[in-house]
Amino acid sequence: MESVARKESKADLVERLKKDFTETEKVILERRSVRLYKDEQVPEFMVRRILEAGRFAPSAGNCQPWKFVVVRDPDLIYEMTEDVADACGIFSKIVNYTRPGREGLRTFSKIMTRLRKHDLHPVPFAAVSLIGDRKLGLWHGAPTVILIFYDTRGVGCPELDCGIAGQNMVLAAHSMGLGTCWVSFSKLLFEYNPKWKKVFSISYPFKFITSIAVGWPVGEPDGMISRQTHAVDWYEGQKKSTIY
Amino acid sequence: MGYMTLLERFRIPTYNDPNETILGRVDFDLARCTGCGMCVKICPASALELVDKKATMKEPPDDQCMFCGDCQAVCPVDAVIMKRPYRWTSFYKVIEHGEPKPPRLFTD
Repeated sequence: MESVARKESKADLVERLKKDFTETEKVILERRSVRLYKDEQVPEFMVRRILEAGRFAPSAGNCQPWKFVVVRDPDLIYEMTEDVADACGIFSKIVNYTRPGREGLRTFSKIMTRLRKHDLHPVPFAAVSLIGDRKLGLWHGAPTVILIFYDTRGVGCPELDCGIAGQNMVLAAHSMGLGTCWVSFSKLLFEYNPKWKKVFSISYPFKFITSIAVGWPVGEPDGMISRQTHAVDWYEGQKKSTIY
Repeated sequence: MGYMTLLERFRIPTYNDPNETILGRVDFDLARCTGCGMCVKICPASALELVDKKATMKEPPDDQCMFCGDCQAVCPVDAVIMKRPYRWTSFYKVIEHGEPKPPRLFTD
Protein backbone atom coordinates (compact mmCIF):
# COMPACT_ATOMS: atom_id res chain seq x y z
CA MET A 1 0.00 0.00 0.00
CA GLU A 2 1.07 3.52 -0.70
CA SER A 3 2.08 5.69 2.21
CA VAL A 4 1.79 9.44 2.46
CA ALA A 5 4.26 10.57 -0.23
CA ARG A 6 6.52 13.47 0.66
CA LYS A 7 6.20 15.79 -2.29
CA GLU A 8 8.16 18.71 -0.86
CA SER A 9 11.90 19.06 -0.46
CA LYS A 10 13.48 18.88 2.95
CA ALA A 11 14.18 22.63 2.95
CA ASP A 12 10.50 23.38 2.22
CA LEU A 13 9.44 20.94 4.91
CA VAL A 14 11.68 22.62 7.50
CA GLU A 15 10.33 26.06 6.53
CA ARG A 16 6.76 24.80 6.91
CA LEU A 17 7.50 23.21 10.29
CA LYS A 18 8.99 26.45 11.59
CA LYS A 19 5.78 28.33 10.84
CA ASP A 20 3.24 26.14 12.56
CA PHE A 21 2.52 22.82 14.28
CA THR A 22 1.55 19.92 12.02
CA GLU A 23 -2.04 18.67 12.00
CA THR A 24 -1.07 15.67 14.14
CA GLU A 25 0.75 17.86 16.64
CA LYS A 26 -2.32 20.08 16.86
CA VAL A 27 -4.55 17.12 17.68
CA ILE A 28 -2.10 16.10 20.42
CA LEU A 29 -1.62 19.60 21.85
CA GLU A 30 -5.28 20.63 21.68
CA ARG A 31 -6.67 17.44 23.17
CA ARG A 32 -8.35 18.16 26.48
CA SER A 33 -10.17 15.72 28.73
CA VAL A 34 -13.83 16.33 27.97
CA ARG A 35 -16.16 16.12 30.94
CA LEU A 36 -19.45 17.36 29.51
CA TYR A 37 -21.12 15.43 26.70
CA LYS A 38 -24.25 15.73 24.60
CA ASP A 39 -26.81 12.91 24.89
CA GLU A 40 -26.58 12.30 21.13
CA GLN A 41 -25.01 8.91 20.33
CA VAL A 42 -21.78 8.70 18.32
CA PRO A 43 -22.30 7.07 14.87
CA GLU A 44 -21.24 3.43 14.91
CA PHE A 45 -18.76 3.77 12.05
CA MET A 46 -16.83 6.43 13.99
CA VAL A 47 -16.44 4.13 16.99
CA ARG A 48 -15.31 1.36 14.63
CA ARG A 49 -12.72 3.75 13.17
CA ILE A 50 -11.49 4.65 16.67
CA LEU A 51 -11.05 0.96 17.43
CA GLU A 52 -9.07 0.62 14.19
CA ALA A 53 -6.64 3.27 15.45
CA GLY A 54 -6.21 1.18 18.61
CA ARG A 55 -5.74 -2.01 16.62
CA PHE A 56 -2.77 -0.52 14.79
CA ALA A 57 -0.93 0.62 17.92
CA PRO A 58 2.61 -0.66 18.45
CA SER A 59 3.06 -3.33 21.10
CA ALA A 60 5.95 -5.40 22.47
CA GLY A 61 6.67 -8.32 20.16
CA ASN A 62 3.52 -7.29 18.24
CA CYS A 63 1.56 -9.39 20.72
CA GLN A 64 -1.36 -6.90 20.88
CA PRO A 65 -2.24 -7.75 24.49
CA TRP A 66 -5.59 -5.95 24.62
CA LYS A 67 -9.29 -6.59 24.61
CA PHE A 68 -11.68 -3.73 23.99
CA VAL A 69 -15.26 -3.77 25.21
CA VAL A 70 -17.63 -1.13 23.83
CA VAL A 71 -20.61 -0.20 26.01
CA ARG A 72 -23.33 1.91 24.39
CA ASP A 73 -26.26 0.88 26.57
CA PRO A 74 -27.35 3.85 28.77
CA ASP A 75 -28.89 1.59 31.43
CA LEU A 76 -25.68 -0.42 31.74
CA ILE A 77 -23.56 2.75 31.92
CA TYR A 78 -25.88 4.16 34.57
CA GLU A 79 -25.70 1.00 36.65
CA MET A 80 -21.90 0.91 36.48
CA THR A 81 -21.71 4.59 37.43
CA GLU A 82 -23.90 3.95 40.47
CA ASP A 83 -21.70 1.06 41.60
CA VAL A 84 -18.53 3.14 41.29
CA ALA A 85 -20.22 6.00 43.12
CA ASP A 86 -20.99 3.64 46.02
CA ALA A 87 -17.35 2.46 46.11
CA CYS A 88 -16.00 6.04 45.89
CA GLY A 89 -18.35 7.05 48.68
CA ILE A 90 -16.89 4.35 50.93
CA PHE A 91 -13.32 5.27 49.90
CA SER A 92 -13.77 8.96 50.61
CA LYS A 93 -15.46 8.24 53.94
CA ILE A 94 -12.63 5.96 55.07
CA VAL A 95 -9.75 8.09 53.93
CA ASN A 96 -11.03 11.61 54.24
CA TYR A 97 -10.16 12.08 57.87
CA THR A 98 -10.25 15.83 57.43
CA ARG A 99 -14.01 15.78 57.85
CA PRO A 100 -15.31 16.71 61.29
CA GLY A 101 -15.80 13.69 63.55
CA ARG A 102 -13.34 11.52 61.62
CA GLU A 103 -10.07 12.45 63.30
CA GLY A 104 -9.93 8.95 64.81
CA LEU A 105 -9.29 7.54 61.32
CA ARG A 106 -6.06 9.46 60.94
CA THR A 107 -3.58 6.62 61.51
CA PHE A 108 -5.64 4.10 59.52
CA SER A 109 -5.98 6.57 56.65
CA LYS A 110 -2.29 7.31 56.56
CA ILE A 111 -1.38 3.62 56.43
CA MET A 112 -3.95 3.06 53.67
CA THR A 113 -2.62 6.04 51.72
CA ARG A 114 0.82 4.47 51.77
CA LEU A 115 -0.33 0.92 50.97
CA ARG A 116 -2.60 1.98 48.09
CA LYS A 117 -0.51 4.96 47.04
CA HIS A 118 -1.90 5.15 43.50
CA ASP A 119 -5.56 4.59 44.32
CA LEU A 120 -5.57 6.99 47.24
CA HIS A 121 -3.35 9.67 45.74
CA PRO A 122 -4.53 12.99 47.15
CA VAL A 123 -4.51 14.91 43.84
CA PRO A 124 -7.79 13.60 42.37
CA PHE A 125 -9.35 13.20 45.77
CA ALA A 126 -11.84 16.00 45.21
CA ALA A 127 -13.11 14.02 42.20
CA VAL A 128 -13.41 10.82 44.26
CA SER A 129 -15.49 12.66 46.85
CA LEU A 130 -17.62 14.27 44.12
CA ILE A 131 -18.32 10.91 42.44
CA GLY A 132 -19.18 9.47 45.86
CA ASP A 133 -21.59 12.36 46.47
CA ARG A 134 -23.02 11.83 42.95
CA LYS A 135 -22.12 15.36 41.91
CA LEU A 136 -19.79 14.11 39.19
CA GLY A 137 -20.66 11.30 36.77
CA LEU A 138 -18.13 8.55 36.22
CA TRP A 139 -18.05 8.92 32.42
CA HIS A 140 -19.61 12.39 32.55
CA GLY A 141 -22.68 11.32 30.57
CA ALA A 142 -20.74 10.01 27.56
CA PRO A 143 -22.98 7.77 25.40
CA THR A 144 -20.13 5.42 24.41
CA VAL A 145 -17.60 3.85 26.75
CA ILE A 146 -14.61 1.76 25.70
CA LEU A 147 -13.33 -0.57 28.43
CA ILE A 148 -9.75 -1.77 27.98
CA PHE A 149 -8.58 -5.10 29.38
CA TYR A 150 -5.01 -6.33 29.14
CA ASP A 151 -3.78 -9.83 28.52
CA THR A 152 -1.72 -10.65 31.62
CA ARG A 153 0.46 -12.99 29.55
CA GLY A 154 1.63 -10.20 27.22
CA VAL A 155 5.25 -9.54 26.29
CA GLY A 156 7.15 -7.04 28.45
CA CYS A 157 4.64 -4.62 29.91
CA PRO A 158 1.14 -5.30 28.51
CA GLU A 159 -0.36 -2.45 30.59
CA LEU A 160 1.85 -0.01 28.70
CA ASP A 161 0.79 -1.45 25.34
CA CYS A 162 -2.84 -0.90 26.32
CA GLY A 163 -1.97 2.69 27.17
CA ILE A 164 -0.43 3.16 23.72
CA ALA A 165 -3.50 1.66 22.02
CA GLY A 166 -5.73 3.86 24.16
CA GLN A 167 -3.85 7.02 23.26
CA ASN A 168 -4.12 6.10 19.57
CA MET A 169 -7.89 5.80 19.98
CA VAL A 170 -8.19 9.04 21.94
CA LEU A 171 -6.22 11.03 19.37
CA ALA A 172 -8.18 9.47 16.50
CA ALA A 173 -11.42 10.46 18.24
CA HIS A 174 -10.28 14.06 18.74
CA SER A 175 -9.18 14.33 15.11
CA MET A 176 -12.81 13.52 14.23
CA GLY A 177 -14.15 16.25 16.49
CA LEU A 178 -15.22 13.91 19.28
CA GLY A 179 -14.36 14.34 22.95
CA THR A 180 -12.81 11.71 25.20
CA CYS A 181 -11.79 11.26 28.79
CA TRP A 182 -9.61 8.57 30.36
CA VAL A 183 -11.46 7.12 33.33
CA SER A 184 -9.64 4.67 35.54
CA PHE A 185 -11.95 4.96 38.55
CA SER A 186 -13.91 2.25 36.75
CA LYS A 187 -11.19 -0.11 38.03
CA LEU A 188 -13.28 -0.29 41.20
CA LEU A 189 -15.93 -2.22 39.26
CA PHE A 190 -13.60 -5.07 38.44
CA GLU A 191 -11.38 -5.06 41.49
CA TYR A 192 -13.80 -5.17 44.39
CA ASN A 193 -16.98 -6.51 42.83
CA PRO A 194 -17.25 -9.91 41.09
CA LYS A 195 -20.55 -8.89 39.47
CA TRP A 196 -19.17 -6.90 36.55
CA LYS A 197 -16.61 -9.53 35.58
CA LYS A 198 -19.56 -11.88 35.12
CA VAL A 199 -21.60 -9.32 33.18
CA PHE A 200 -18.79 -8.80 30.66
CA SER A 201 -17.58 -12.44 30.78
CA ILE A 202 -14.08 -11.39 31.78
CA SER A 203 -11.82 -14.18 32.97
CA TYR A 204 -8.19 -15.28 32.75
CA PRO A 205 -6.01 -13.99 31.10
CA PHE A 206 -7.79 -10.63 30.88
CA LYS A 207 -7.61 -7.97 33.56
CA PHE A 208 -9.13 -4.49 33.59
CA ILE A 209 -6.72 -1.61 33.05
CA THR A 210 -8.66 1.54 32.09
CA SER A 211 -11.62 2.94 30.22
CA ILE A 212 -12.27 5.78 27.80
CA ALA A 213 -15.43 7.88 27.54
CA VAL A 214 -16.32 8.91 23.98
CA GLY A 215 -18.97 11.40 22.93
CA TRP A 216 -19.85 14.70 21.33
CA PRO A 217 -18.53 17.50 23.54
CA VAL A 218 -20.67 20.41 24.72
CA GLY A 219 -19.10 23.68 23.58
CA GLU A 220 -15.54 23.67 22.28
CA PRO A 221 -13.42 22.16 25.06
CA ASP A 222 -10.38 21.37 22.91
CA GLY A 223 -7.62 23.96 22.79
CA MET A 224 -4.05 24.69 23.80
CA ILE A 225 -3.30 25.54 27.43
CA SER A 226 -0.30 26.20 29.66
CA ARG A 227 1.23 23.27 31.46
CA GLN A 228 4.22 22.60 33.72
CA THR A 229 7.52 22.05 31.96
CA HIS A 230 9.59 19.07 33.04
CA ALA A 231 13.34 18.80 33.45
CA VAL A 232 14.92 16.88 30.57
CA ASP A 233 18.56 15.83 30.82
CA TRP A 234 20.39 16.26 27.53
CA TYR A 235 23.72 14.53 26.80
CA GLU A 236 25.62 15.90 23.83
CA GLY A 237 29.27 16.74 23.07
CA GLN A 238 30.40 14.92 26.25
CA LYS A 239 28.44 17.42 28.33
CA LYS A 240 25.25 17.14 30.30
CA SER A 241 22.73 19.96 30.37
CA THR A 242 19.19 20.20 31.69
CA ILE A 243 16.54 21.78 29.51
CA TYR A 244 12.92 22.66 30.27
CA MET B 1 16.09 19.86 42.51
CA GLY B 2 14.81 16.39 41.97
CA TYR B 3 15.91 15.07 45.30
CA MET B 4 13.84 13.63 48.13
CA THR B 5 15.20 13.27 51.62
CA LEU B 6 14.58 10.11 53.63
CA LEU B 7 12.17 12.02 55.87
CA GLU B 8 10.15 13.17 52.87
CA ARG B 9 9.96 9.64 51.56
CA PHE B 10 8.52 8.36 54.81
CA ARG B 11 6.10 11.15 55.64
CA ILE B 12 2.66 11.21 54.07
CA PRO B 13 1.12 14.60 53.39
CA THR B 14 -1.94 15.64 55.33
CA TYR B 15 -4.73 16.50 52.93
CA ASN B 16 -5.94 19.53 54.83
CA ASP B 17 -2.64 21.24 55.60
CA PRO B 18 -2.10 24.11 53.13
CA ASN B 19 1.66 23.95 53.78
CA GLU B 20 1.79 20.41 52.44
CA THR B 21 -0.80 20.66 49.69
CA ILE B 22 -0.35 23.67 47.48
CA LEU B 23 -3.17 23.34 45.00
CA GLY B 24 -3.35 24.63 41.47
CA ARG B 25 -4.81 28.04 40.91
CA VAL B 26 -6.43 29.84 38.01
CA ASP B 27 -7.27 33.52 37.83
CA PHE B 28 -9.99 35.18 35.81
CA ASP B 29 -9.79 38.28 33.68
CA LEU B 30 -13.02 39.69 35.08
CA ALA B 31 -13.26 42.35 32.38
CA ARG B 32 -13.52 39.55 29.78
CA CYS B 33 -15.59 37.02 31.73
CA THR B 34 -19.17 36.93 30.45
CA GLY B 35 -20.42 34.57 33.16
CA CYS B 36 -21.43 31.84 30.70
CA GLY B 37 -20.48 29.22 33.32
CA MET B 38 -18.85 26.72 30.96
CA CYS B 39 -15.73 26.51 33.14
CA VAL B 40 -17.88 25.91 36.22
CA LYS B 41 -19.72 23.09 34.46
CA ILE B 42 -16.65 21.21 33.25
CA CYS B 43 -14.29 21.63 36.23
CA PRO B 44 -13.61 18.02 37.31
CA ALA B 45 -12.77 19.11 40.85
CA SER B 46 -15.80 21.39 41.10
CA ALA B 47 -13.42 24.13 42.23
CA LEU B 48 -15.08 27.01 40.39
CA GLU B 49 -18.31 28.90 40.96
CA LEU B 50 -20.18 31.89 39.61
CA VAL B 51 -20.39 34.88 41.93
CA ASP B 52 -22.29 37.92 40.63
CA LYS B 53 -22.19 36.41 37.12
CA LYS B 54 -18.39 36.19 37.15
CA ALA B 55 -16.39 32.98 37.42
CA THR B 56 -14.20 32.63 40.48
CA MET B 57 -12.44 29.96 42.50
CA LYS B 58 -14.20 28.58 45.54
CA GLU B 59 -12.89 29.27 49.01
CA PRO B 60 -10.62 26.65 50.64
CA PRO B 61 -11.02 23.71 51.17
CA ASP B 62 -13.21 23.44 48.05
CA ASP B 63 -10.61 24.88 45.66
CA GLN B 64 -9.11 21.46 44.82
CA CYS B 65 -7.65 22.55 41.45
CA MET B 66 -5.65 19.92 39.51
CA PHE B 67 -4.36 22.48 36.98
CA CYS B 68 -5.81 20.41 34.13
CA GLY B 69 -6.54 23.51 32.05
CA ASP B 70 -9.98 22.40 30.89
CA CYS B 71 -11.36 25.78 31.97
CA GLN B 72 -8.77 27.70 29.95
CA ALA B 73 -9.42 25.58 26.84
CA VAL B 74 -13.21 25.80 27.04
CA CYS B 75 -13.41 29.54 27.80
CA PRO B 76 -14.86 31.22 24.68
CA VAL B 77 -13.38 34.63 25.60
CA ASP B 78 -9.93 33.57 26.92
CA ALA B 79 -10.61 34.94 30.38
CA VAL B 80 -8.84 32.15 32.28
CA ILE B 81 -5.25 32.69 33.37
CA MET B 82 -3.46 29.57 34.59
CA LYS B 83 -1.56 30.92 37.52
CA ARG B 84 -0.02 28.23 39.66
CA PRO B 85 0.41 24.46 39.20
CA TYR B 86 -0.12 22.22 42.20
CA ARG B 87 2.92 21.36 44.26
CA TRP B 88 2.70 18.62 46.86
CA THR B 89 5.36 18.08 49.48
CA SER B 90 6.55 15.10 51.53
CA PHE B 91 5.87 11.71 49.95
CA TYR B 92 4.02 13.18 46.96
CA LYS B 93 6.54 16.00 46.47
CA VAL B 94 6.49 17.37 42.94
CA ILE B 95 10.02 17.10 41.56
CA GLU B 96 11.78 18.34 38.46
CA HIS B 97 8.95 20.55 37.22
CA GLY B 98 9.56 23.93 35.66
CA GLU B 99 7.30 26.93 35.14
CA PRO B 100 4.06 26.38 33.21
CA LYS B 101 4.27 27.29 29.52
CA PRO B 102 1.99 26.90 26.48
CA PRO B 103 3.09 24.63 23.58
CA ARG B 104 6.30 25.96 22.00
CA LEU B 105 7.57 25.89 18.40
CA PHE B 106 11.28 26.49 19.30
CA THR B 107 12.05 28.32 16.07
CA ASP B 108 13.12 31.70 17.45
